Amino acid sequence: MGRCALWWGPDGVELGEKQTMLMRHINGRRIWPTIVLLFGLVAVPTTLPAQEEVSSAIRRYKDREASTGFYEQYEAKPFLQRPFISIPGVRRGFFPYSPSAAQVRIRTRLADSHQGLKFYWNLRCEDCHAKETKDIHTVRANLTCRQCHGGEPIAGLQYYYSPFNLIRRHAYVCAKCHEGASASFASYVVHTPNPAMASTRKTFPLLFYVFWAMVALAGGTFLVFLPHTVAWGIRELFVKAEKTEDDSEKGR
Amino acid sequence: MTPKKADRILRFSPAQRLFHVTLILLFLTQGATGLGRMYIETAWGKGLVSVFGGYEASLTVHKYVGFLMICGFALHVLYLLFRINWREFPASLFKPDSIVPQVKDLQNFFQHIAWFLGVGRAPQFDRWGYWEKFDYWAVFWGIPLLAVTGLILAYPVGSSTFLPGWFLNVALWIHRIEAMLAMVHVFIIHFFIAHLRRHNFPMDRTMFEGSSSLEATRDEKPAWIARLEQNGKLETRLVSEASPRIRLFYYLFGYAALGAGVFLLVGGIVNSPYVTW
Repeated sequence: MGRCALWWGPDGVELGEKQTMLMRHINGRRIWPTIVLLFGLVAVPTTLPAQEEVSSAIRRYKDREASTGFYEQYEAKPFLQRPFISIPGVRRGFFPYSPSAAQVRIRTRLADSHQGLKFYWNLRCEDCHAKETKDIHTVRANLTCRQCHGGEPIAGLQYYYSPFNLIRRHAYVCAKCHEGASASFASYVVHTPNPAMASTRKTFPLLFYVFWAMVALAGGTFLVFLPHTVAWGIRELFVKAEKTEDDSEKGR
Repeated sequence: MTPKKADRILRFSPAQRLFHVTLILLFLTQGATGLGRMYIETAWGKGLVSVFGGYEASLTVHKYVGFLMICGFALHVLYLLFRINWREFPASLFKPDSIVPQVKDLQNFFQHIAWFLGVGRAPQFDRWGYWEKFDYWAVFWGIPLLAVTGLILAYPVGSSTFLPGWFLNVALWIHRIEAMLAMVHVFIIHFFIAHLRRHNFPMDRTMFEGSSSLEATRDEKPAWIARLEQNGKLETRLVSEASPRIRLFYYLFGYAALGAGVFLLVGGIVNSPYVTW
């Protein structure tokens, strides 16, 4: 076999051995297996491991977040949840869902939760959020509001792209200090309500009931043993007098 | 040199005394580090944590001492398992020498109250008074409760993989209230009953020395002494008093612990309005 027959194609272009073989297949009847293979690669769902690296929302999400945790698909996408379409506890009209109403009336769902507040730039956080500025994170760990809530604009907690949205709070906020924080960890209530208050029974019932159960336990203990101890101490003061009387009666 | 008179009755073994001394030291350390951190907003709290190297170092000490308490509790449970009379179990748990609460203790409690009020005779206590049993079992269930909630709080990221994160809020309050209950009970009720009431004043050395005055015990626990005399076992339990130097050490240690406890109690009460809970 001459060199030209092996290395040169029909148009005089130099080809490799494999390409030459391919040309032969295309020219012949063995083209169909190749077509089936190419079609199969396209038709197979994109769950092939090699493709997941570049197509999966999970992988891309993990590239951006700070935590070392693993997050499922529903944590990166709304999935079946429908954001900013209803006002909790309020049903208005025949069709109660209104994106515009939600955006105006529910600040926790705004991209800028302080949108429209008068003289906002002259206010300090504690002017409106006095109670929230006094908790373990601020008082004990000396954190400032900005260290968690970030700079302006401060997105509402439920705004979909807010770092405080529960779907990513653990990664974007908690994990800054608590390495490896999970979504479960992020359900810790940072601004803990006063457990003794009646309002806590609605917002955090377990905390309310556990607090009062423990107070009842401690209070019950003291209610019994403090008077008991005082009475015992007083009573023993008279033991000597009784003995003295006995002793005097016995002539001792 | 004349031999010492054996006029004291043995009440506690060296192991039991060691458990108690260890508990005193660990409990006071936990109280000081815990209160120091809780009261960090006040000068009193800052001073308290400075003893242990600051706010963060206090937490480290609190955690390590907490581990020691858990180990001590585990050792105590092992000790109990060896001490229980398994041949007569479970009847052995309800004999007079057992510290398990019984119906008789409830009767003694009400009879004691009647004596306080001057409307009845003092009860004939056996080896353990109801207040001693209460103190023991309060610690016995208190340590596991503090240990579990303490571990949850010490490892919040890890524990939130098994529990919802909001349980940390609940665990913190359980830990706080249980710790405060324990401290107030020990620093007021236990200290007064064990050391400051007239019968034991100026200090009951029994738990340190292992023995108590036979006469004082006959006065307070007549049923126990009568039982020992009836069984002929009283003589075997009689021991002599410790030397004056050792007694002085017991007094110094006891009053140092009592002073530390009262300092924590008073400081905690006085500074409580200035703390963010």
